[in-house]
Amino acid sequence: MIDLDLAAPLDRHPATVLPDWIDWNGHMNVGYYVVAFDKATDTLCQQFGCGYEYTRDEIGMTFVLEAHVTYDREVKEGDPLRITTQILDHDAKRLHFIHMMYHAKEGYLAATNELMLMNIDYQTRRSAPWPGFAMERIEQLAAAHAALPRPSQAGRLIGIKKK
Amino acid sequence: MLQSLPYELPELITRAPLDTHRSTVIPEWVDWNGHMNVAFYVAAFDQASGAFMRNMGLGRRYVDGKLGMTFVLETHVTYDREVREGAPLRFTTQLLARDAKKVHLFHEMYHAEQDYLAATNETIVMNINYETRRSGPWPVPVAERLDAIWATHQALPKPAKAGRVMGLSKRS
Repeated sequence: MIDLDLAAPLDRHPATVLPDWIDWNGHMNVGYYVVAFDKATDTLCQQFGCGYEYTRDEIGMTFVLEAHVTYDREVKEGDPLRITTQILDHDAKRLHFIHMMYHAKEGYLAATNELMLMNIDYQTRRSAPWPGFAMERIEQLAAAHAALPRPSQAGRLIGIKKK
Repeated sequence: MLQSLPYELPELITRAPLDTHRSTVIPEWVDWNGHMNVAFYVAAFDQASGAFMRNMGLGRRYVDGKLGMTFVLETHVTYDREVREGAPLRFTTQLLARDAKKVHLFHEMYHAEQDYLAATNETIVMNINYETRRSGPWPVPVAERLDAIWATHQALPKPAKAGRVMGLSKRS
């Protein structure tokens, strides 16, 4: 496993807006924000040994149960991105966290993605407790992130405000 | 505000929920877990939002004609059951609320043959002024269509998965 990075929030995921991610509005399409965020989820899962190799080696999988995205500002083809990740909560099987996507040069917040991730048994494809090696690291990461303020984008309810 | 749209609008479907959209899980949507990746559920739901907007008169011609655009502000997905490559999908779309610039939609994605619920998507879509790329009121014929379909959609019960706030239940 890679060295554990206890900087809070986790800040080790750069990305670039690819041409394929652009839609007819001339900006990154709503689905591809989630493509970019999902790659940042893998960067997080690498921290506790549940990234791509975890599934490739048929040890286990991680499934997303629920996702909430706020689209805060447009990004265009070629824009450099920086995605940070904050753990909000966890239990024996699940991990609740939020990604923040920034324009890496201009610094503005482009989008956020709150996620509920569950550990999955490779054979049964059903939920299972985090393996011991993962839980140990998740607890260290959660402790390191516990002092961070909770982002206002976490725990949102969707709706149109009545005027 | 646009008083009219310079093209013929499709015949309005007021049936509630809207149930016209179909799709298929294409190979590019499948990830290393052997199922549709989380992001492409959002892409598939975005196409269902597109079907809803076309029914309102806001299809590709709206953007290509430089009349306006629609942007998603916020979206919430529940992933209820896996779908695999080639799976046929059908969608239903319920209008939960609307105002002068926005619609609040609720999509359900079903496996079209086995009929199970695969996912839901609650989303807010806003009308955008083409020149300023900022919010603007719906064109008049669109607002009229929204009123017409609201008359049928408001009678539907609120979906159980709408209005969710994410969190770990402390009971489990």
